[in-house]
Amino acid sequence: MNEQPRECYSLLQLQQLLQDLIAACPMSRNVWITAELSDVRESGPHCYMELLQKDPQTGATIAKARATIWGNVWRGIKYPFQRATGQPFASGLKVMVRVSASYHPLYGMNLNITEVNPSFTLGERERLRREILMRLKDEGIIDMNKEMELPRPCLRIAVVSSRGAAGYGDFMNQLLNNGRRLKFSVRLFDAVMQGAQVSDSVIAALDSIAQEQENWDCVCIIRGGGASTDLDGFDDYRLAANVAQFPLPIIVGIGHERDTTVLDYICACRVKTPTAAAELLVGLACEELEALRSLGASLLQTATDIIGGSRQQLAYISGQLPTAPLRALQNAERRLDNAAMNLSRTADNGMMPLRARLDRIADALKSSSANRLTLAIQSLNASDSLLKALSPQAVLSRGFSITRIDGKAVTDAASVAPGAVITTTLASGTLTSTVS
Amino acid sequence: MATPVNELSYAQAVGELEQILALMQSDRCDIDKLSAMTRRATELLTECRARLTATDQELRTILSQLENNQ
Repeated sequence: MNEQPRECYSLLQLQQLLQDLIAACPMSRNVWITAELSDVRESGPHCYMELLQKDPQTGATIAKARATIWGNVWRGIKYPFQRATGQPFASGLKVMVRVSASYHPLYGMNLNITEVNPSFTLGERERLRREILMRLKDEGIIDMNKEMELPRPCLRIAVVSSRGAAGYGDFMNQLLNNGRRLKFSVRLFDAVMQGAQVSDSVIAALDSIAQEQENWDCVCIIRGGGASTDLDGFDDYRLAANVAQFPLPIIVGIGHERDTTVLDYICACRVKTPTAAAELLVGLACEELEALRSLGASLLQTATDIIGGSRQQLAYISGQLPTAPLRALQNAERRLDNAAMNLSRTADNGMMPLRARLDRIADALKSSSANRLTLAIQSLNASDSLLKALSPQAVLSRGFSITRIDGKAVTDAASVAPGAVITTTLASGTLTSTVS
Repeated sequence: MATPVNELSYAQAVGELEQILALMQSDRCDIDKLSAMTRRATELLTECRARLTATDQELRTILSQLENNQ
């Protein structure tokens, strides 16, 4: 039998002791600490949560405490924090908070938060994210998945999520009860979606999909937000490098509206929530259906137009048929008449100048020949007078005579020997004499 | 002879549909080929639509899949 201890406290006594100790320790008040938020929930005007610290290697929780922000303080933190960091004060965030510890025998330890430093939260995540993105950029792989387009149609969806993950059910419901009978085929590639195993587990799921990539149109990595949100696992270089280089386009829908992870910057398509991922896929497929509908309508319309047009053409032709030959004859006749008229008019027009020209030539001829004749006659008359004046007869008449010996005219007296018989021709009659 | 529609990829089928439409809308549309073109277009449309949407039987299979998942 064990010995009865000399001193024994009641539970309350012990806890009151702790309460006093903590209250007496000035170090436990108004001290800045860093921690991770978990189970953040608002109740009435106040905000309650768990503060966690995890082992960076294993991800195991190594410290945990309840914390509260009373309404009067919470009012001044909630929206300013969200504005400053771009995300709500919610589970999964690393925060720097000023706390005062208190101990209550019934409720245990509680940290009362009086101030939050948003730049720590912003800085912490941003630094990590920027580091990863820079590295992917340096390696030239940052845009590889981002530049991939979702195929048409995009119906075979490989889902990376966990069966129990918040949001997976919503996604499946939204996708399969789409109301348009869209034929999605979906398979879950189960992965751990929170904590330190996220990276390894998601990479393993991606590897399985890659091995049968011809069976899938795209990959959806989805999980909702939730009480024990821890998105930090997604801000991981190895996971990001895998997503960036994945051979199928990846749709990422992780967390709540405001949550961001490094995957959002490198995936082919980023949506805010799993539900939004399903809406996107349903929307794309509906667009496809709509495109088909409109193509079909255009084809129908065009075919109808063509047939209608041809029918009209036929009707016109058959209407023309009975009168067409007659009209053709009339037309031909009219054309002939016109041609004849034109011909004569053309002939007239063509002949007129020719005729005028002939007339002018005739006139010219007439007048020029008359002149010539007159001139010739005048000239002849003149020649005649001259001839007359110069004729031997005329000279003889003026009293000259011609002396000839043996018919030859004598022009030198010395050439005539005495005794020669000369013949002298006068204007009228001839004398024969002997030279002495 | 045209490729059977079920051997075409969806993108090829839609591409051919657009081609047929463009041909029908052009001046070169041969009315002798109109019915053949319309028949082909209808086949392509039916095939494309069938690939997007599920029959009743398929729908039941898909929805049972959903129930098994939950």
